[in-house]
Amino acid sequence: MSLFPKVGRKQGSVRIAWWTVVALLCLGVFLHLLPFYFMISTSFKTGVETMADPPTLWPQHPTLAAWQLVLQITNITSNNTLAAQLLDEPLYVYFWNSIFMTVTTLLISLPITALAAYANSKLQRGPIARWSFLFFIGTLMVPFAVVLLPTLLLTLNFPFALTEGSIPNFPGTDQPFPTLRIWDTPWAVIIPAAFNAFNFLLFKGFFDTIPNSIIQAARVDGGSEFNIFRRIVFPMSIPVFAVAAWIQFGAVWDNFLWPSLAFRSPDKIPTSVAIYTLMNRFTSAGITDANQAMGQSMAMKQLLEAGLSWNGLMVLGLLQTLPIFVMFIICREYLLRGVRLRCLK
Amino acid sequence: MSDQVTGISTGTEITGAQATAEPVLRRRNRLEIWLFIIPAFLFQLIWGWYPLVVAFLISFTDAQPLLPSTFTGLDSYMRVWNDPLVAMSFRVTFLYAGMTIALTFVIPIIVAILLMEMPPRTMRWMMLLWFLPLSPIANTILWKYIYNAQYGLFQYIATNIMHLPAQPFLNDPNQVLFWLIFPGVLLFGPGLIYMAALQGIPNSYYEAAEVEGASFWRKIWTISFPRLRPIISMLLTFGIIGSLQEFAWPQIMTGGEPEGASRTVVMYLYSYIQNQRYSDATALSVFLFIVLMVIIILFRTFVKEDPDA
Repeated sequence: MSLFPKVGRKQGSVRIAWWTVVALLCLGVFLHLLPFYFMISTSFKTGVETMADPPTLWPQHPTLAAWQLVLQITNITSNNTLAAQLLDEPLYVYFWNSIFMTVTTLLISLPITALAAYANSKLQRGPIARWSFLFFIGTLMVPFAVVLLPTLLLTLNFPFALTEGSIPNFPGTDQPFPTLRIWDTPWAVIIPAAFNAFNFLLFKGFFDTIPNSIIQAARVDGGSEFNIFRRIVFPMSIPVFAVAAWIQFGAVWDNFLWPSLAFRSPDKIPTSVAIYTLMNRFTSAGITDANQAMGQSMAMKQLLEAGLSWNGLMVLGLLQTLPIFVMFIICREYLLRGVRLRCLK
Repeated sequence: MSDQVTGISTGTEITGAQATAEPVLRRRNRLEIWLFIIPAFLFQLIWGWYPLVVAFLISFTDAQPLLPSTFTGLDSYMRVWNDPLVAMSFRVTFLYAGMTIALTFVIPIIVAILLMEMPPRTMRWMMLLWFLPLSPIANTILWKYIYNAQYGLFQYIATNIMHLPAQPFLNDPNQVLFWLIFPGVLLFGPGLIYMAALQGIPNSYYEAAEVEGASFWRKIWTISFPRLRPIISMLLTFGIIGSLQEFAWPQIMTGGEPEGASRTVVMYLYSYIQNQRYSDATALSVFLFIVLMVIIILFRTFVKEDPDA
């Protein structure tokens, strides 16, 4: 854009201001990249070196031990029982669980939320629009901890948010109402996230800025409302779809509290829960504490010697970040594509 | 068919005659509105409002986990009101929310505005690097390592570079909130949303301002900020709501220690749930909800949303 004047860019004062802005942005980039550098360099250190004081700036004895050892968790048939006993399933199972949940949520949630927001923004009007708007965003004010328990009960016995014993009987019989249990399946994560109130607000805010005249023109040409949405509104709103997909992806991929309650089978949990469990096992086993690590059990000592300490945790952290990073790149592309469309206008 | 034709003709006549008049919808389209709304309506009703109502009802009972519960009126509210730890957790929460907004909210806006100034190719790269995401799980691992009192990076900086005595970081009740918020200053939040909103501002506004001789700051202040105002206001509202409901990050980093100096309201609520005091937990959440509503209503009355107002 053009905060800096187009004419007279060569003037001294404008030049100084321009380069100050560039320098500030570069400084920010540098500060922002430090944590990433720290994670990556730690993942290549040996287990003992991660606990060195002073901390080393780059790996003194660069090694792939942590990466190998962490990836061996994926290979349950390997002879290294140390790594195998840390997690119950190979790592790729958790990754597949996470990816399945996240992608399914996106595919269900984005159309549902966007269509409702579009209808609320452009098709409903008057008091109905106001009330349905409040209906859709009203739950945003509520902390998730409040509805934690009823939601859990609801996934256990679907139409009733009640415990097992208190489900009412079929009238006239002593048979309880049939219930549907989605607890301990991926759907326990997918279905409660199918409508995202925050994205609803994001979509609505964007659709409000689309001029009514465009939609009216399409209506005069005889387009059905769905076709208007698909052919005209959707191509215009690709940037906001990208942002919404990005928000939803991060929310589901990194959600940790709800999946830790919604699953019991160890082969169904997502990576976020698995990594957190592993982190706790590491910490309680004492291999992140320099003093304790020396006097701990043989098994843990072996692990530390093999090179699994903070470096292994950093590898897991990087693996957890990788899909978010890929999604970020994709969404950024679409965001910028939207920019190009706008520039052509 | 004739119905449709008349529908169209009246629609065009009205828009032709007076631009502000509402066009008439055809009956088929009216049906389509409902098809647009119904899936979201059902999901929001069953998974949004239904658990909320159940939670509210639980707060008036004694909520035994496996037995049928009995109505106890306002007992749980009185218990929560008289709990000294609740007042403390509210104090911590307000401090945490205030510090979070003050320290982390403005930076992404400024960065987004300045990034839009860069030439396209530079912008693409800087955008990538500035808003590079880090998974919260990875973030916890990283900062637990950095804050480690024995061999962490910050301990090294404090003792060997700044020559301070050994710092307790997360173990000091006076420092813990700042160190919990600090990673958020370094790793930025919703920058992409601001970038998307800035791209919606027509370039002609800036060109017109330039012809009028507006300076750099003048353009930011009279064009960029007012145009961003709806999105800033929305994200600030959610920033306030989110930081008042902070749970997972302090729970994993400190667990409320030391001496409850980092125990937020929702963390305390969660400890109620763990102790199976369900009705107290929902009563506390009703208190939190009332506080949130008051803050949001105050905020909404003082902040204008419409950029053209």
